[in-house]
Amino acid sequence: MKYELVSGLETHVELSTNTKIFCGCTTDFGGEQNTHCCPICIGLPGTLPKLNQKVVDYAIMAGLATNCEISHISKMDRKNYCYPDLPKAYQISQFDMPLCKNGYIELSNGRRIGITRIHIEEDAGKLVHQRGNTYVDYNRGGVPLIEIVSEPDIRSIDEAREYVEKLQMIMRYIGVSDCKMQEGSLRCDVNISLRPVGSTEFGTRTEIKNMNSFTYMTKAMEYEVSRQAELLDEGKEVTQETLRYIVEENRTESMRGKEDANDYRYFREPDLVTIEVSQEKIDRFKALLPELPDAKFARYVNELGIPEADAGLLVKYRKVAEYFEKASQGVANPKVVANCIIGQIFRRVENETEKEAFDIALSPEYLRDLVLLLDSGKIKMNLLKSTLEKMLDEGKPAADFIKEEDMGGVDADTLKQLCTDAIANNPNAVADYLGGKEKALKSLLGFVMKNSRGRADAVEAEKLLIEMVNASK
Amino acid sequence: MVTREDVLQMARLSKLYIKEEELDALTKDMDKIIAFAETISAAQCEQTNFDNINNLSNVLREDVVVPSYDREEILKNAESQDEGYFLVKRRS
Ligand SMILES: [Zn+2]
Repeated sequence: MKYELVSGLETHVELSTNTKIFCGCTTDFGGEQNTHCCPICIGLPGTLPKLNQKVVDYAIMAGLATNCEISHISKMDRKNYCYPDLPKAYQISQFDMPLCKNGYIELSNGRRIGITRIHIEEDAGKLVHQRGNTYVDYNRGGVPLIEIVSEPDIRSIDEAREYVEKLQMIMRYIGVSDCKMQEGSLRCDVNISLRPVGSTEFGTRTEIKNMNSFTYMTKAMEYEVSRQAELLDEGKEVTQETLRYIVEENRTESMRGKEDANDYRYFREPDLVTIEVSQEKIDRFKALLPELPDAKFARYVNELGIPEADAGLLVKYRKVAEYFEKASQGVANPKVVANCIIGQIFRRVENETEKEAFDIALSPEYLRDLVLLLDSGKIKMNLLKSTLEKMLDEGKPAADFIKEEDMGGVDADTLKQLCTDAIANNPNAVADYLGGKEKALKSLLGFVMKNSRGRADAVEAEKLLIEMVNASK
Repeated sequence: MVTREDVLQMARLSKLYIKEEELDALTKDMDKIIAFAETISAAQCEQTNFDNINNLSNVLREDVVVPSYDREEILKNAESQDEGYFLVKRRS
């Protein structure tokens, strides 16, 4: 039978505040075990939590950036469960009055994935199981999180992936989290159920906990979908349970079944007062939000004429987009700037972390000045490209590399002379080309470019060379 | 009405071990406690919305780091510790 996937995600995002949610301990990642702790975050009796203003602010920004309503009144609740990673035996979270609700994220296929709610809560400590005992480090305990809960609107593994990628991109844009999956600052619980194609009822779902990489999330979902499909095909039932994904064996395993489902006995946190957010504050935050990736993408494509694939690459990282925008100021064709960034600069910032930081020697103003030389016809594309490489090496402006006499290209007579010389000096290449090796033309072109010190127009030169070589037959 | 099953469930969630012979007495006690707390439901109250009875809101702190405690202090009251970690020993 053909099945349709029905999936919803709970995404935990660690906020990049300086301090923990209820105390002044640092949130720095790493650090010796149990050195970022105080009586509040190790849950000693008699201590009082005090809410970090920044956590509320960041959560409001996250909500606004994902089209949520912001609650004017919300509160904190205790979620009770006994486990060593939680020193108080409860987590301070939000239950029935989350800070944000009813938002959505739009995917590239136009489908909207609803966001049920976003609430704030504290992270738990870290457990290391060794020699049958459990070692506990509370450095992470009390680090602020937002939990973003989606509606079960996701219909494919690709959609799940894009949804998380978009969340990651948005949270980074607004600067509330670095969303590094490998460091655990973004992690997902994935709910999965199947139903026959055409059916409108939900099947029994399972939940895979704590996915902290895109690769594993995809693999775990693939495994779980085929496992459930097999069960259903055999006429068996899917059991509602919580699963963990075992990377080494590429399979899921039950953590607990429905009968041991947690009973969290939520109740209001009596140590913390109500959170009130005024409309004035919401409006102020709305005005402060940067242009988000979707809006940028649409603007690049529709107003600047950037091809969609390129626009996608430019908006993915906020600093890249900002660089592109600065370098495009007053430029006739922003596509040239886009090509410089994607074709040449990206080669120097290969991985995600480097693109995120986009720390390159060349200022966007220098790139703009270089492209303006092309606009005014003073240099040709090939000289622009070779100069850009030098500028990237040294971080200096174009004027340091292009002499005045190199500007303006070469006139038709000079170009003709250069091509004649190229043909005369490379008889083998000419023979190869005439013999059918089209690539041989490259060495002739190289000769022309070199001898014109990069000033010749490569496209014109190539055209002329083909003409002349064929005429010499 | 609190049942024996309710009490067992509570004990399980609280990681408490209860002997069979204690169960009936505990069930009765629990029932009394709940009944006592139920009194409050009888109170007449105009305000049915969210209760913000203390009229306090937004008691917040600035996001400024203060030094954490020395690890020695943090681990001082731990029943068991090893290599700077709290140690939770497996129960045999
Ligand atoms: Zn602390």
